[in-house]
Amino acid sequence: MNKTRLLLRGVLLQLALGAIAVAAGAQTEKQQFPVASKTLKNGMKVVVQTDHSIPNVALYIFYRIGSRNERPGTTGISHFFEHMMFNGAKKYGPGDLDKAMEGNGAANNAYTARNTTVYQDWFPRSALNLIFDVEADRIQYLSFDPKKIASEREVVASERRTSVDANNAGILDEQLWATAYIAHPYQWPVVGWMSDIEHWSLEDLKHHFEMGYAPNNATMVVVGDVSPEEIFQLCEKYIEPIPQHAPPPPVTTVEPEQLGERRLVVHKEAQLPLLMIGYHVPQTNNPDFYALNILRTLLVRGESSRMYRRLVDQDQIALEVDALQEPDLDPTLAVFYAQPKQGVDPQKCEAAIYDELDKLKKTPVSDVELEKAKNIRLVEFYQQMRTINGRANTIGTYEIFFGDYHKVFDAAKNYAAVTKQDVQRVAQKYFAANNRTVATLLPEAGQEGAAKQ
Amino acid sequence: MTVEIKWLRLLRAAVLVSGFVSGAAAQTLKLPPHEKIVLKNGLTLLLMEKHGVPMVSLAGIVKAGSVADPMGEEGLAAVTASLLRKGTAKRSSQKFSEDLDFTGGSFACDAGVDFTSLSAEFLSKDLDRGLDLFSDALLHPSFPQAEVDKMLAQDIDGIKAAKDEAQSVALNYYYGYLFGKHPYGRSEGGDELSLARIKRDAIARFYQANYTPGNTILAVAGDFDAAEMRTKIEQAFGGWEGKASSLAAISAPAPVKGKRLLLIDKPDSTQTFFGFGNIGTAVDDPDRVAIRVVNTIFGGRFTSELNEALRVESGLTYGAESFFDSRKVPGAFAIYSYTKNESTAPAIDLALQVLEKLHTDGVTPQQLASAKAYLKGQFPPEIETSGQLARRIASNEFYGLGDDEINQLEARIDAVTPAIAKQTIEKHFPEENLVFMLIGKASEIGPVVQKYATQHDTRKITEPGFWPPPAK
Repeated sequence: MNKTRLLLRGVLLQLALGAIAVAAGAQTEKQQFPVASKTLKNGMKVVVQTDHSIPNVALYIFYRIGSRNERPGTTGISHFFEHMMFNGAKKYGPGDLDKAMEGNGAANNAYTARNTTVYQDWFPRSALNLIFDVEADRIQYLSFDPKKIASEREVVASERRTSVDANNAGILDEQLWATAYIAHPYQWPVVGWMSDIEHWSLEDLKHHFEMGYAPNNATMVVVGDVSPEEIFQLCEKYIEPIPQHAPPPPVTTVEPEQLGERRLVVHKEAQLPLLMIGYHVPQTNNPDFYALNILRTLLVRGESSRMYRRLVDQDQIALEVDALQEPDLDPTLAVFYAQPKQGVDPQKCEAAIYDELDKLKKTPVSDVELEKAKNIRLVEFYQQMRTINGRANTIGTYEIFFGDYHKVFDAAKNYAAVTKQDVQRVAQKYFAANNRTVATLLPEAGQEGAAKQ
Repeated sequence: MTVEIKWLRLLRAAVLVSGFVSGAAAQTLKLPPHEKIVLKNGLTLLLMEKHGVPMVSLAGIVKAGSVADPMGEEGLAAVTASLLRKGTAKRSSQKFSEDLDFTGGSFACDAGVDFTSLSAEFLSKDLDRGLDLFSDALLHPSFPQAEVDKMLAQDIDGIKAAKDEAQSVALNYYYGYLFGKHPYGRSEGGDELSLARIKRDAIARFYQANYTPGNTILAVAGDFDAAEMRTKIEQAFGGWEGKASSLAAISAPAPVKGKRLLLIDKPDSTQTFFGFGNIGTAVDDPDRVAIRVVNTIFGGRFTSELNEALRVESGLTYGAESFFDSRKVPGAFAIYSYTKNESTAPAIDLALQVLEKLHTDGVTPQQLASAKAYLKGQFPPEIETSGQLARRIASNEFYGLGDDEINQLEARIDAVTPAIAKQTIEKHFPEENLVFMLIGKASEIGPVVQKYATQHDTRKITEPGFWPPPAK
């Protein structure tokens, strides 16, 4: 899930923000990845998985708070708050946390999404005590220095300019969600609207901290060169004394059923157009999750996939086609994305995408194609589970979005159970015209004429 | 985009120069045992068993990257690599993809600057099919005309799409402006005009001349028995023939004298993306470990001097960093960041001050200790998987670096003294002579950035090519 951008030749837009870690697995997973867990007296669940293959540890804390828990006027505050978690608490003042960690061989990062805010620590086991000291300090005693808030506001504005203004896919994705949702909080961007970034107050921040940063609203996952016993002992010392309090109020807004296709256009200086199509689909813990994943896999994964073959290889109307469905606690979007070639009307790509979806609705896939999709999921599972970082993220993701990390071990069974009738059924059920939002970015020549063809 | 993160590294040297070893106290991280075999046809084979995950990783290196592109046909190595899987003697492009995807495995080819790399991963149970696919693409590509046409058209549009996102082409312009006519100045993927000149014949000739067993390194790591793997590899690759071409030696690029500045106009930009620096170092530079330690302090991590100044203390940017993109002969050094249009000059001024401070104040013993701990602590996950290990031993073999590059690294990091750090700063971090590259809204920032250089150049981002401007 770490978004490292490499500058490669002809880099295309990268939408793959780490699809959820799931796949069919072998029978031996439980033996290969033995997991221990404990719920502390203050309600924080701790999950530990020992792996001595490298002398390092990945420690992830998943807080169940994200842009879904925000309101108009303070959109983006979860993400801003994530930044503030690095800007000083009681024992470790501004800048001290990063300096102490890096000086002891540790690195950190964090990400905010619609449902969660996740703090990641990667370190040699020699830094174990320090990490617990730091995490306990900031969960309990975060400081709110007005000067830090002012400068961090500028940092986040710069982040927004980079990920939205200077990124056509970023702009279009933001517009797509804002149009597909009319009631539910998934309508605003995680980074927040610029005017909200400029205006939220110290009180807003304090309120957010009190609302979301309770130990009983978090799960800690530790993977690597540690034993469950030593982690539970450190938790007793550092984490357990932190008092629990009420978690964020439940999000009760339910997005009403979409009653007809919605369309939007973004005009922007660009050489190439862009296309995104979002369909409402259920939340991650819905039983259709597995069939939807298989459907997306056979549509866009690999160069033998249906949509790659159709749009990129045969019709040659797109440079790239992709689809994404991120983990979400509430009903979400399955988004198809196409990068049309220069001069190609995006509606041509749109028509080809609908045509491929219609084929799935009309005709069941072959046994071989279904097996291929399951094989791709299996390899992906091993690739995610073979590093300590990948395992920490996967375990936490299952715990949050499926409600129990043990579901990792059921993934194999759940994928194996997907039939071609399931794939056909979900294609018919969710990929209907009335249920879609279509976003198109159309190039607009600059004052001096952009695209010379 | 639905995920926003604290910190993302924007630019990263394409080739990892050197590794860093874990290990506070007792433990020293070492490369797992591996063996090197040169087959009769000249292919260099590296084998490393690594059990636990039922997968096998292959990393191939063909000793010809974009440095081997003919003038005017930049991108030839890259296109050749991309086409390996697009039709072979026994498989159509579509059949290759079907066979590959059915295994769930991966296969990718990409031309870098110094070499072309192939990488693939398969479940151990699919090893035979995986080796068949890998050798089929490497040994028997047929370059069908229709696939050539399709690939070139896509790559040309891919360059234009990349230019719609300033950051993704920042290095193309910077390297072009820094290296000039030296082969390292070429865009690895070519440009809109050079790609249009490439013909199928040139691709076939490039393949014939460069894809030979003697010119190839193949590293295999993962869940297998080495003796059995050797037999399988000999069966799959032993019949490969072809004479190794003599590698044309590349001269070292001369550092740039004076100060010059290239401004790429992107009129819709709300932010300026800027990089500046000079020629850096070669992969095997004797000072490479000290450089890594000093650069960690200067611009290589979150608490670096650059990021502290430009992000943490001033809020001018989301990130600022410096890097050495080290190569066979000296590559680039750059300081890189971005900031809103209005603060372009303050941000560059501040970055220059941080560079000046590095030269006047040097680094403290505390900073040195911290950087050493950081590098040692963060290294083990870089050689955690069989794929990482295969790529690492293959590139070490290419660059002539031995296992000590990893096995002795902890000791080498520890050996960097304050005196060595001081010499390293003087020798390897530029001070007076600087090349600047900016992408941004020229009408707004043009006047304020004049002061950084005596020579000024400018282009529109939509004009075909990067730098130097392509010959018409």
